Amino acid sequence: MQRNCHPIEREDIMAYLDGELTAGPAAAAAAHLEGCQECLRLAADLQSVSQRMITWQVASPASGVIPRIAAALDDRERVREKASTLGRRAWRDILGMRRWSPYVISFASIGLVVLLVSMTRLSLYREAPHPMDISSGPRSQVQSQAPTRSSGIDKLSSDNYVLDFGNRATVGGVAQKIGDSLEINGSMIVRTAQVILTTTEFDKDRARIEEILKRHRGYVGELSVSNPSGTGRTLNATLRVPADQLESTMAELRKLGRVASESQTGEEVTQQYVDLEARLANARNTEKRLTDLLRQSTGKLADVLSVELEIGRVRGEIERMEAERKSLANRVDFATLNVVLTEDYRAQLQMMPPSTTTRFRNAAVEGFSTMVEGIVSVVLFLISYGPSLLLWGALLFFPVRVVWRRLRRDPA
Amino acid sequence: MLEFQRGSREAFEELFERYREPLYGFFRRRLNSTERAEDLTQETFLAVIRATSRYEPQALVRTYLYGIALKLLAAERRKRIRNAPPAQSGAEPLVDDAQDDALWVRQAIERLGAAEREILMLREYEQLSYAEIAEVLRIPVNTVRSRLFRSRMALKSFLEPEVKLHDAAAASGTADCEAVTPAEDEV
Repeated sequence: MQRNCHPIEREDIMAYLDGELTAGPAAAAAAHLEGCQECLRLAADLQSVSQRMITWQVASPASGVIPRIAAALDDRERVREKASTLGRRAWRDILGMRRWSPYVISFASIGLVVLLVSMTRLSLYREAPHPMDISSGPRSQVQSQAPTRSSGIDKLSSDNYVLDFGNRATVGGVAQKIGDSLEINGSMIVRTAQVILTTTEFDKDRARIEEILKRHRGYVGELSVSNPSGTGRTLNATLRVPADQLESTMAELRKLGRVASESQTGEEVTQQYVDLEARLANARNTEKRLTDLLRQSTGKLADVLSVELEIGRVRGEIERMEAERKSLANRVDFATLNVVLTEDYRAQLQMMPPSTTTRFRNAAVEGFSTMVEGIVSVVLFLISYGPSLLLWGALLFFPVRVVWRRLRRDPA
Repeated sequence: MLEFQRGSREAFEELFERYREPLYGFFRRRLNSTERAEDLTQETFLAVIRATSRYEPQALVRTYLYGIALKLLAAERRKRIRNAPPAQSGAEPLVDDAQDDALWVRQAIERLGAAEREILMLREYEQLSYAEIAEVLRIPVNTVRSRLFRSRMALKSFLEPEVKLHDAAAASGTADCEAVTPAEDEV
């Protein structure tokens, strides 16, 4: 079979018989086969080979359930159950919305309870006195119950919760004391205040601020002093004082000078804290379960490694949440007080006018400067435009001279 | 396969029922031992169970299964070469209960080159398309096509002497088994 005699390749005939050609080439192959005896023979040969090969048949395998495979399937199901115990599979299912496991329902129930508790606390908070009054009102009442400290979140009564801040970071030993005794009636408030003062005794007031801070067991978060010309000095300070000392600290600061403005805000973080506690407890439980699983595991190395990896991840989450909880507790324990202390500016009066000699001297200096400035300007002009002027002058000189001479001749 | 990946045991049972026999045939035609063919068929399904979590639906399940089967077969052959004495490391002995025609076909197939034989068998017995064969063997589709054509032509030429004798026997109206024997010796 010569290539130039047939419009299609021999392999195309085979591909056509195997159903591997697309519609166009298949139609071309079919059309060619109708009229080409040689290609028909090739097709018959190919089909004959296939038919001969089919004669080699093998007997069917023995039917029935194969124990090895059944056992492997059982093992796999057990592994899946373990994985869902660890929470990994459950989370995957939740994210993929593939199926609802009991663990998903448990998580949803916990979430619902937390939501209901938060909503209850929120409604109580709305009915409660203003957050700014918390130090003088409910807190004094609660502080008398300080010895009834407990771990986690315990219900004191139908309306009150005791929050234990336990191992909080200490600043000068103050936070520990407050952390041990601070039990907030219902709400956790992050308090922020700002005072803008104007004073005539800037240096003395600065020292007084430090004294006040020391007396109220606070510390300086940030402090900067600016001294621009033409205006008075300004001190910007971010002070952190124990939340229960905020009012008394502000009262003392007000005495330092004239109060230009004052503001206070309170941010409710109870829900955030409760959520964090719940998530932390869940993560710790998960870590414990994983550790138990690892201890009892007799499986493959890969399984052990994957459990260890999961433990590492959960531990990282726990540490992050603990840091967040400490930070939140610190923000509740220590109110943030922004102080802006501005000095009254006193402009200096010039009693003596400058002398005549000085005025002459100044005039001479100004005259010299003006002269030098003028010369420099002319030189700069010539440097900038001189070449262009010379060029145009050279170009226009002769035409202008001719025109000029004609004009002079014509009247004559 | 995706249903099984999600945990459906029924899905696997369906997969098993559908592919058990073809996979057994795959191994049986390439190995001499019925038991090993059965074992390797089970090994293939066990590998599927073990690798379920890593399965990604990039190809047909059939291609996936035959890909695993080919790897197991290659491992089995390597093991045989290592363990078997040098004299037995060549062609496997023929099956005793094979019929004459099938015997001829098998002998002819064994005379093909390894690469061409594998392509031809995947096409004829496993009914894989050119693209599927290319994917399983990791070679271009055009290579599959040209090798398949060559192998069919070669097989035709190997079977021709037998065809003539077979046709002659059919024409004489007797199924003369003795007539096949000399041709077998030629093979």
